[in-house]
Amino acid sequence: MKFRIGVDVGGTFTDFLVSGEGQTARVYKSSTTPDNPAIGFFAGLEQAAKDHGLTLQALLDRVDTIVHGTTITTNAVLTSTGAKTGFITTKGFRDLLNMRRGLKDRQFERYAPPPPLVPRYLTCVVEERCNVSGEIEVPLNEDDVVAAARQLSKEGVEAVAVSYLWSFLNPAHELRTREILQREMPGIYISLSVDVLPQIRVYERHSTTALNAYSGPILTRYLSKLEAELKNRGYAGKLLIMQSNGGVMSPQVAQRFASNTLLSGPAGAPGAGVVYGSTHGFQNVITVDMGGTSFDVALVKDGKPSITTDGSIGEHRIASPILDIHTIGAGGGSIARVEAGGLLAVGPASAGAKPGPACYGRGGTKPTVTDADFLLGYLDAEAFHGGQLTLDRAASEKAMQEHVAGPLGTDTVQAADGVYQVINANMAAALNVVSVQRGYDPREFVLIVAGGAGPIHAAPIARELEIPLVLIPRESSVFCAAGMLISDLQHDYVRTYARDIDKVDSAGVSRLFTEMSATAKDTLIGEGVAIKAVQLHYSADLRYVGQFNEVEVALTFKSKVTDKDIAAILDAFHARHEALYGYSMRGAPAELINLRVTARGVTPKPKFARSPKARTQVQKALIGKRNAWFGKWMKTPVYDGLKMANGHTVAGPAIVQQPTTTIIIPPDYDLRCDEYNNYLMYPKGANLTQLIRNLAKRS
Amino acid sequence: MAKSKPSKKPRGPDRILVSVIGNRFDAISKEIGQTMLRTSRSPIFSEARDFVTAIFDAKMRLVAQTAYIPVLMGALPNVMARIQEVFADDIQDGDVFICNDPYRAGNNHPPDINIIRPLLHRGKVAFWAVSKGHHADVGGGGVAGYNPSAKYIWEEGVRIPPAKLYMAGKPNKALWDMILLNVHLPFLVEGDLKCQVGAVAIGARGLEALLKKYGLATLDAAIDEIFDASEMQMRDAIRTIPNGVYRASRQMDHDGINKTHPITIKLAIHVKDGGMTFDFEGSDPQVPGYVNSTLPNTASSVFISLFMSLGKDMRFNEGALRALEVKAPLGSVVNPTEPSPVTGCTVSAAQTISETVWLALSEAIPDRVDAAWARWCAPASMGFNPRTGRPFGDIHFMGRGGSGASQGSDGWDHLAPSFCAGSLRSPDPELHELVDPFTVMQYEYLPDSAGAGEWRGGMGVVYRWRSETDGIPLANFGGGVSEITAPFGLKGGKGGIPHRVALIKKSGERIKADTESFYQMDSGDMFEICQSGGGGFGDPKRRPAERVAADVRDGLVSVELARNYYGVAVDASTFKVDTAATASLRKA
Repeated sequence: MKFRIGVDVGGTFTDFLVSGEGQTARVYKSSTTPDNPAIGFFAGLEQAAKDHGLTLQALLDRVDTIVHGTTITTNAVLTSTGAKTGFITTKGFRDLLNMRRGLKDRQFERYAPPPPLVPRYLTCVVEERCNVSGEIEVPLNEDDVVAAARQLSKEGVEAVAVSYLWSFLNPAHELRTREILQREMPGIYISLSVDVLPQIRVYERHSTTALNAYSGPILTRYLSKLEAELKNRGYAGKLLIMQSNGGVMSPQVAQRFASNTLLSGPAGAPGAGVVYGSTHGFQNVITVDMGGTSFDVALVKDGKPSITTDGSIGEHRIASPILDIHTIGAGGGSIARVEAGGLLAVGPASAGAKPGPACYGRGGTKPTVTDADFLLGYLDAEAFHGGQLTLDRAASEKAMQEHVAGPLGTDTVQAADGVYQVINANMAAALNVVSVQRGYDPREFVLIVAGGAGPIHAAPIARELEIPLVLIPRESSVFCAAGMLISDLQHDYVRTYARDIDKVDSAGVSRLFTEMSATAKDTLIGEGVAIKAVQLHYSADLRYVGQFNEVEVALTFKSKVTDKDIAAILDAFHARHEALYGYSMRGAPAELINLRVTARGVTPKPKFARSPKARTQVQKALIGKRNAWFGKWMKTPVYDGLKMANGHTVAGPAIVQQPTTTIIIPPDYDLRCDEYNNYLMYPKGANLTQLIRNLAKRS
Repeated sequence: MAKSKPSKKPRGPDRILVSVIGNRFDAISKEIGQTMLRTSRSPIFSEARDFVTAIFDAKMRLVAQTAYIPVLMGALPNVMARIQEVFADDIQDGDVFICNDPYRAGNNHPPDINIIRPLLHRGKVAFWAVSKGHHADVGGGGVAGYNPSAKYIWEEGVRIPPAKLYMAGKPNKALWDMILLNVHLPFLVEGDLKCQVGAVAIGARGLEALLKKYGLATLDAAIDEIFDASEMQMRDAIRTIPNGVYRASRQMDHDGINKTHPITIKLAIHVKDGGMTFDFEGSDPQVPGYVNSTLPNTASSVFISLFMSLGKDMRFNEGALRALEVKAPLGSVVNPTEPSPVTGCTVSAAQTISETVWLALSEAIPDRVDAAWARWCAPASMGFNPRTGRPFGDIHFMGRGGSGASQGSDGWDHLAPSFCAGSLRSPDPELHELVDPFTVMQYEYLPDSAGAGEWRGGMGVVYRWRSETDGIPLANFGGGVSEITAPFGLKGGKGGIPHRVALIKKSGERIKADTESFYQMDSGDMFEICQSGGGGFGDPKRRPAERVAADVRDGLVSVELARNYYGVAVDASTFKVDTAATASLRKA
């Protein structure tokens, strides 16, 4: 039998999901080892092997694919420990990268500017210039390139990024620069904007290209070592790397496009949402993942996660397509405080893993969301993290009294309830951003909840946005690892083709699509994808003439793009503009800006096994009762989730506990364990069968 | 304790709910802004974000505001008061209001057009969604609204009093036609008015959902609470400033009419027990040219500086405003009378006013003010682009100076002007070349432009472009071109340099360009702006020598300036500090 393994390196834990055909997937966690993540990686695999009664080598023999999500590049950027990088750009424009378009995020705060990605003394300019039409106005001064190469060699850079003005219209100068750099600086890591992001907008292109150089050598080193260590242990299967766009790629491609891993941390979740949703035919889902410091939200419509090109990391822009995951500073560690004006605020500051919430008893003195959850009776002092940690009630109460209850003139329970409500409202607002603000009605979506703390807060969030159904996967706490396992290989390509829509030459569009498709196919086939598993998706960015932002619309065509296809995307553009922004201007001139191809190498998806109907009463899973706060103290039954089976239904108020997850079912909700052993939570009295049918039909 | 009954003692509206509702209002205001950002056509909206969005309640109180460009932050309450006066009994569902006139509509200056949509509840107004933004053109004799030779408001553009652009959902066609007939760039103006109308519709949609969820009575009570909390927060912050009277005066270069006559703005700040009065008594009388500052603009400019010093985490609303009073004599340059021209006030006057506030406060709370930021000085341009076959209108937002240094922090490079507080987004040079008939020749930091100090000012830029077509008018505006208007340093920090602006004809002839003046570019001509950096803070000789050497290595500070101002000897090729030479330079 063959296994597939998802390995997701998070800030605190590395999550493992081991899936064997026809078997229930098994979950493992190891501590993340930031200095050398491979240690935690192999520690988890050892655990998995032992649990399967195998040696590590024997397990690896049976594994055909390992999908790996790594935050090694993310951490390098956030802690300014990436490769020493040089940047070469057009003469006269030395500082566009570090000007960051002249923005300061927090207007009314006095703080130092973020450190530059590439310091000015490592930024070299060369004489060259293309104009707005892509014609060469100033030829490349090769002496300048040689001088830059020598200067950067002398400074000992590990990587060089090259991005010139208008290079996406005419790549000649960047390509020639690469040749010279390869000659002058053999072995150096080179990142060209025409490879990384050949599209209009200088700063965004510069920044993405520079981030690629900055993270490239780090990822290359890490992956080479990891592959060698896997090989040493006899692993002959595939290693795939998670990307920020929700797809995976081979280590070889990853090393060239390291910037595609920078925001890959939460990128497994939307894909996992698609798969878990598919068990009931749901194609419209919103996934939420609540961790210790952050809360990630993503919307999936018609089985497709939303994509954005507005990404950023540490105040540096990434303009490549990434999953549109909205992150706010809200998690179990978020700290509550009363502001000067007497209003309660929670987060974004977090107690993190150290010292952590006050109730962890590790020296934390500030009240956090976890403290609030605990004081409300939602968490079991003895069974937290599978009983690895006993929660300290006195510490929670002291923190809550001192920082919230005291200043508000109330008691600790009211204060905890306030913290719970405020954080829920903040999280609901984050869901509003990805749904209502993007033109989607949350009432047509299923909420899929991940993360250890997520299911404690799911019902109030759903209630606030009138989301009719909540799905909580049994593997909720390793949700992203699950998502990685089902990800396809995916690569995105873009070419700028800026002109009025009525001047668009459909043959020209066809040609660019063909070129991008050919590159896409070559890349995927090089990664071992069979040609019949390759799927290509085409889209175009349009705007009304004079606008400065585009709307992306999908495009379909048979063999060649025709004028009719162009007319169809214009129609789609008007409609999408209306939905997003409250108006459209049919008849007003529109223009095309970018053409895009998304190429997928479709991988086989695991099939969920249906489990038989429970033969026992749900009462067998009951482990006791405890007081929990739902506007008043209520004696609330507590169930052991591991003993719940297909068809078991519990009525709120109730608590379902698993080793790393707690589900809170408030008095106005019920919960059922479904035939895949996942949980469905819904408003009391709703007809669940009808509800599922309606939501599946909407999709 | 944990099992105790909830306290039953009576208290005001639920603090928690108030917090939640406050965040909701903020989110709706932001959503209106996001819509404008994504869909507008004028680069002044979408690239430079020169607009503000807000929510008002039925009593015309400012509930929430998103000020992308903070100089607009105080400019809405007067507008709303006028709408109320004129239309009190005649407001229907589906109405959309418009206005831009400073004298009849309480506006700050004509290019900022207000679009306002009421949300009715049981036949009565419950809330208003508001969008105000700087249009690429409002007609008149200027360039993109800027007319440095105007002597009357009528020369500045079309004057729109409070009026209905839509009546119960139906467009007021006559008014649309009237406005579009009176502007140079109707296609941009029409697109951006529709973008504003769309944005406030999105805002009304959000407000409706909020109203449905909580009901009007709860929202009303929550708003009262939010205001009280904001007022308390503001007063607490003001109490950290010692009671007293703090004075300062700064000057504008001139008004575009009398080009040798600087204009003085005088300010006395009275701080007393958690309240502040800003009194402009003694400022110059109103001037013939367009730099006169309407009272809403004067107040806004004050609020920006104050918020940049005190406003971290503070909500800007009716409540916060209760602690503040702005007084300016009628008929003065900071509160002019009809029909004085005013378009330049949001820039030339605003930056001067914000400097007076900081300079005055620097006596009381030196650790919480910035040294002066570089003033704005760059042109607007407008015309026809033969390459695209379309007209264009633009402000050259790339020409930016540095921000001022402060205690503990260098200034930010390329961040000025102060009245945007760092939220002005510079346009993309490629998109700029795609739309405008210009080729950008140079756009990078200008070495030695920043004021020296223990904390250095942020760098100014050199920005140079070439015209690819004939007959493009420019209106250059802002100021900061003389010694007295260049950025000041604080606590021993040096000031920045005056801006140097020039038109370089194709022939090579170099014409020094002034502020508040018209120029014309023909094909092959270049316009060059060398922008000042920000003022420095603290004695430059206290800046660590390694940091000075790093600035030299980065090419931001010359070896000479390092020696003369910082007293640091840096080797020109190795960038090493000569410790002995530095010690003796610094002893001197």
